[in-house]
Amino acid sequence: MTPSFAHASEAEMARILDFYAVRWVYEPHTFPILWNLEGEVVESFSPDFWLPDLDCYLEMTTLRQKLVRKKNRKLRRLRELYPAVTVKLFYARDFRALMLKYGKLALVDALSGSSGQTTPPRGSTSTLPIDAPAVLDVAIPAVPAAASAARPRQRALPAAPAPEGTR
Amino acid sequence: MTQEIDLREDIGEVLLTEEQIQGKVRELGARISDDYRGRRLTLVSVLKGSLPFMADLMRAIDIPVRIDLMEVSSYGGTATESSGLVRILKDLSASIADEDVLIVDDIIDTGLTLNYLIRYLRGKNPATLRICTLLDKPARRLVEIPVDYTGFIIPDRFVVGYGLDYGEFYRNLRVVGVLRPEVYTEVAPE
Repeated sequence: MTPSFAHASEAEMARILDFYAVRWVYEPHTFPILWNLEGEVVESFSPDFWLPDLDCYLEMTTLRQKLVRKKNRKLRRLRELYPAVTVKLFYARDFRALMLKYGKLALVDALSGSSGQTTPPRGSTSTLPIDAPAVLDVAIPAVPAAASAARPRQRALPAAPAPEGTR
Repeated sequence: MTQEIDLREDIGEVLLTEEQIQGKVRELGARISDDYRGRRLTLVSVLKGSLPFMADLMRAIDIPVRIDLMEVSSYGGTATESSGLVRILKDLSASIADEDVLIVDDIIDTGLTLNYLIRYLRGKNPATLRICTLLDKPARRLVEIPVDYTGFIIPDRFVVGYGLDYGEFYRNLRVVGVLRPEVYTEVAPE
């Protein structure tokens, strides 16, 4: 079952990853990046995709420039706090280039910017159960209860291509 | 009388001249020959884009080589391929078990196709499996792949020529050039 993506470009990226048999998990981790004086988390960052076989995160940013700057700032903060965590930021221009490469440039206008946000908000549904991802060997401060309550959603794929002769 | 079409007019900037490409191919061929001397090497080319590179590279290598060709479907290749899994359109014609294998690719950008191919070919138990690419566009990388032989690291531009296409055209250009944006914003590929 496909998770509810926050943005249509994320759904397109999920289809691309599926096509190339790259396993992904949608928003499985939330990284606290700012705390108040009482030690409560006041800001956190949940990268869009975790690619377990590649041990990296993918964050899609096809939004307006003002929001991109905010995301860049959060990403810088995340990299300071969690240097062992690899996050690739995928900007609107990257998405456009990808669509150009795949001959789907016409999709860009439909999927870019706020007009692409047509699906229910993230965390609204839960689909397949998932083993707790165990790749992070860095110390991560406690995840806010609200964030940890949202079950990660996973799309399972075979780990390797089908045997020769079946494709 | 048919109208003559000059694809070169669509190139806004020549990124790599024919001389630069051929010089690099000779250099790569010499390095590969040295590295695999005394061994038997199989070059696996990834169609269609790497065809010119493969043709030139194999002739720049002075040790015995076998060649083989593979082709995989591309995401969005047709409307019906926008979902599902990548397909092997053309598989190897001979076994590579216990062979030294070098994948010859034209360009690595996201790394998604090559990542798939590497996993697929590893399943065929080659003795070694290494990567040679003419062009590397690291700014677009989604999947980190260790590349053993790289011709040129290029900027984040949409390039065509020397095997690289847009809408299946421009592959026959002898140079690698940046396609004028008007070409792909005005005319959608098939």
